[in-house]
Amino acid sequence: MDAKILIFILNGLTQAAILFVLGSGLTLAFGLMRVVNMAHGAFYLLGGYIGYSVVKATGNWPLAVIAGGLSIALLGFIFERFMLVRVRGGDLPETLLTVAISMIIADLAVVFWPPQPITLNVPASLNFPVQVLGITYPSFRFILMGISVLIAVSLYLILYKTKLGAAVRAGVDDRETVSALGVNIQVIYTVVFVLAALLAGFAGVLGGSYLQLSPGSDTTILTYSLVVIILGGMGSLLGTVVSSLILGQILSFGLAYAPQYSYFLIFIPMAIVLALRPQGLFGKQI
Amino acid sequence: MSRKLFSIFSTLIVVSMLLAACATATPTTAPAESKPAESTGEIKIGFISAFTGVFSSFGKMQKEGAELALEEVGYTAGGKKITVIYEDDQLDNEQAVTKAKKLVEQDKVDILTGLVSGDEGLTVGDYMKDKGIPLIPMYSASEDMTMRSFFPMTVRATWTGAQSMDVFGYWLATEKGYKKIYMIGEDYSYPWNQAGGFKRGFCRGGGVEVKSVWFPPGTTSDFSSMIAAIPLDQGYDAVLYNGAGGDAVNFIKQWSELGMVGKIPLLGQSNTFEKPDLDSMPKDIVGSLSPHHTADDLNTPNWNAFKDAFVKKYGYSPSAASEFAYMSMRMILRAIEAVKGDVSDKAKLVDAMLKVDLSDTPRGPVALDPTYHSAIENVYIREVTADDKGALYNKGILTVKNVSQFGPYDPALYMSQPIDGNTYPPDLCADFPAEMLQAANIYEYLPFGK
Amino acid sequence: MQNKNLPRILLLVAIAVLLVLLPLYAGQYTITTFIRILYFGFLALSIGFLIGQGGMVSFTQTAFFGFTGYVIGLLGLERGLAFPLPELLGLAGVLLTALLLGMVAVRAYKIVFLMITLAFGQIFWAFAQQNTSLLHGWAGIRGIRPPVLLGIDFYNTANFYWGALVLFVLGLYLLWRITKSPFGLVLNGTRESPRRMAALGYPVYWIRVVAFLISAFYAGLGGILAAYNTGIITPTTIQLSRTIWVLLMVILGGASYFWGPVVGTIVVVWLDVLVSGITGRFNTIIGIIFVITVLFSPNGLLGLLDDIRRGEKFPKIRKFLFPKAASGE
Repeated sequence: MDAKILIFILNGLTQAAILFVLGSGLTLAFGLMRVVNMAHGAFYLLGGYIGYSVVKATGNWPLAVIAGGLSIALLGFIFERFMLVRVRGGDLPETLLTVAISMIIADLAVVFWPPQPITLNVPASLNFPVQVLGITYPSFRFILMGISVLIAVSLYLILYKTKLGAAVRAGVDDRETVSALGVNIQVIYTVVFVLAALLAGFAGVLGGSYLQLSPGSDTTILTYSLVVIILGGMGSLLGTVVSSLILGQILSFGLAYAPQYSYFLIFIPMAIVLALRPQGLFGKQI
Repeated sequence: MSRKLFSIFSTLIVVSMLLAACATATPTTAPAESKPAESTGEIKIGFISAFTGVFSSFGKMQKEGAELALEEVGYTAGGKKITVIYEDDQLDNEQAVTKAKKLVEQDKVDILTGLVSGDEGLTVGDYMKDKGIPLIPMYSASEDMTMRSFFPMTVRATWTGAQSMDVFGYWLATEKGYKKIYMIGEDYSYPWNQAGGFKRGFCRGGGVEVKSVWFPPGTTSDFSSMIAAIPLDQGYDAVLYNGAGGDAVNFIKQWSELGMVGKIPLLGQSNTFEKPDLDSMPKDIVGSLSPHHTADDLNTPNWNAFKDAFVKKYGYSPSAASEFAYMSMRMILRAIEAVKGDVSDKAKLVDAMLKVDLSDTPRGPVALDPTYHSAIENVYIREVTADDKGALYNKGILTVKNVSQFGPYDPALYMSQPIDGNTYPPDLCADFPAEMLQAANIYEYLPFGK
Repeated sequence: MQNKNLPRILLLVAIAVLLVLLPLYAGQYTITTFIRILYFGFLALSIGFLIGQGGMVSFTQTAFFGFTGYVIGLLGLERGLAFPLPELLGLAGVLLTALLLGMVAVRAYKIVFLMITLAFGQIFWAFAQQNTSLLHGWAGIRGIRPPVLLGIDFYNTANFYWGALVLFVLGLYLLWRITKSPFGLVLNGTRESPRRMAALGYPVYWIRVVAFLISAFYAGLGGILAAYNTGIITPTTIQLSRTIWVLLMVILGGASYFWGPVVGTIVVVWLDVLVSGITGRFNTIIGIIFVITVLFSPNGLLGLLDDIRRGEKFPKIRKFLFPKAASGE
């Protein structure tokens, strides 16, 4: 096959990797709690910035990934336990609260980090040219794909092989019954929200390493995440996998052949799905 | 809704009124006129720039250059104190207008300056057309501010997008013998102007094609697909990346990662390889060429004096954005001196600016065109080089003197052409109007350093 | 009865006089700020009406706001169509788009409705940002000037202010009538219990679509004023953070009150003017106010006042603000 087509496909897979990490947590949180965390993009941004500082200070990229993820997980925990839980019940106040938090985080980030776009420095030991099938491709992108697969497998195992996971899946299907069965639904909510935050933080470090982080990116990332989960279906992990793959390829080929419309193109499958099958490819009827 | 609530609401409105009245305690005349506060012995300069956003490094450097010039005169000129009010427009054109309105209508500034991107310049220029206050764009390079949309209150002592690129394109076609260039550019006015100048020079010099691929700035950071799509087997002599800032850093990084270095020469627009962005780029792009009105290794007494003062104050070497701001502010201050601090007659102030002696400008001697208030100055062609510590810098290799914004063209002919856009000038040189290809060559390429 | 009403009427007259005479005693920048309040007020009313009366949170309104601006820029400035053609075409375009979008989105469950409208708002934004051949991408369309109508040049700030004020008052009145009309009551019903309304035979779906259209219309109106006043329309006008800003205005004022959006707009725009002079961190301050509002007074400022009046909060202040209500109990 033409060398550049192979690169397009690989680029699409790299994009898909980030999109998956972004969308997976959000879709579970939405499926379970019916709340869209509008701060998801801000979590991504903050996680990325924290990772950037860690890399700058220590040069240790894997540490940055962990730091980025954990710090946002902690933030998510505090946010959920002390603020979201107070307005639980009505959908609107919860969503508004997440909107407010996203504004604050995005605005304060400019105080602590440079206002121009920055990228995390990946050490050369992780980022070297790889010759595969006749083309040169940076190894780091393969690492990104690998991490994403790892996360996908871990999520699958948690969801389908643990009691917690079973409770989450049951909650996605039917919240009231799960409470009635004696499972502490509040704890499940917290766990899922924190998990989503953790994944957003990871995504921030991963994405910020091969794309840019800048003050405006939180809204762009939020939009990407929403498109991923609307297309895939809210509450469905498999849906996120499929939609990330599809959207990744659209982004990659779009950038190659129609860069003027690259961002706009990803909305087309979403619009089609909304018109024909509003619950998403693999989602359940709400 | 209850009546009591309505009363409270009404009270809020009333309070707003009072706030409004208090905020404008100084009596004003009819709203259209703004009277500056020079009766208090102070001259106010409004400074709008992009301090956040994709080009915020340029905004920061701009402010630093301006402040250096102000410090040199102790924030005093013509016996009056100089106050600068800085506003961030976040690289958003609407904010630029809002801030301009604030500076002009509320703060009553005497002079408006700053401006980084081309669009900020055009937008603010639109607003300022009939305000009767001098507008001094520092880095904004959209040529129409001093061409088709010119109004007499504008004085731009710096550059236009096409100015240096015309020289560059011509040189590549004539001296290097390039015939076909593949250009990837950010889709907005400044890169359009840069591409326009480049195409004119290139085609005039005998080039055949500048294939233009445009992408929207700010939403794309993954250029790998675009890079992979570059055809290496269709006889392109070089790839020109027509963009700057964070996008440029990413493009260059991915260019290197995909193994393109050495496969085809890489060229940049004026801002692509500017420091400090250059410091984030991979070291293997050494040899890449770009044109500008400064070079990192200038060695004249004027430049060295400026550079030393800048390094002493800020700890790093200045680049074009700082120098432009410095010399523009210096021009403003010298003009204020010339009118002995009386800036009430703005037309006289502009006249004074045009007469300021700019031959001691750090980057090289500058003269101002009296008709279009634009700069006639040196262009340098630079090459990315590594110094002995391994850091990259732009080394000057050629100088061309006395380049005007119109290049070798007659102003009327130049301005009769359509505005540079993403479909004009045409990609194929054969589609150019004949008179645009026939202008005589006035460029003399001198070795750098003479 | 006469005595009780007189102070209220005097107050209203005083406000009206102050508003009308504003350009004569206030500085240019203050007038500009009030104009901003007026056109953002339209946008806030648009979102507020939909939330307060219809119970639907939509993120597309800002896109409709920008839509009319773009139509004016494209047809009015670039193709020379004279007033009122671009404006009417813009509004027609907004209504048509709102109809198509509304028909698809209104079926969805609340939060999904929000996400769909957000996504469509972003589609408009993405198109505006990236398309350069028609919409000039990031640069937008510059040089939009208000028309000269009936001999009045609306480029003059005072004239523009009066024109916008008249339009705003008319718009408010119209919306008030709609809210109090049978349609408005039915809309409230669909907000409270859609299933009951459906069981009673009301076409809940179409009621919501109509509400969406009304909301879009007001957003479009605001956009016309905004485009003429700033002279420029860019993708930033319709970006997500702008929508969030307006949503805050509505919530801060009190979404379930008719006057809530207007109060919220006044407060937020004035805050912007005051705070910008001190710090650039306006968004953080607004965000914090937002958090406090959602946590402690989800019905906004007007809701807070209402709670005080009814004795549910801050009883001491109640005596001071509402002596009649306090002593009556």
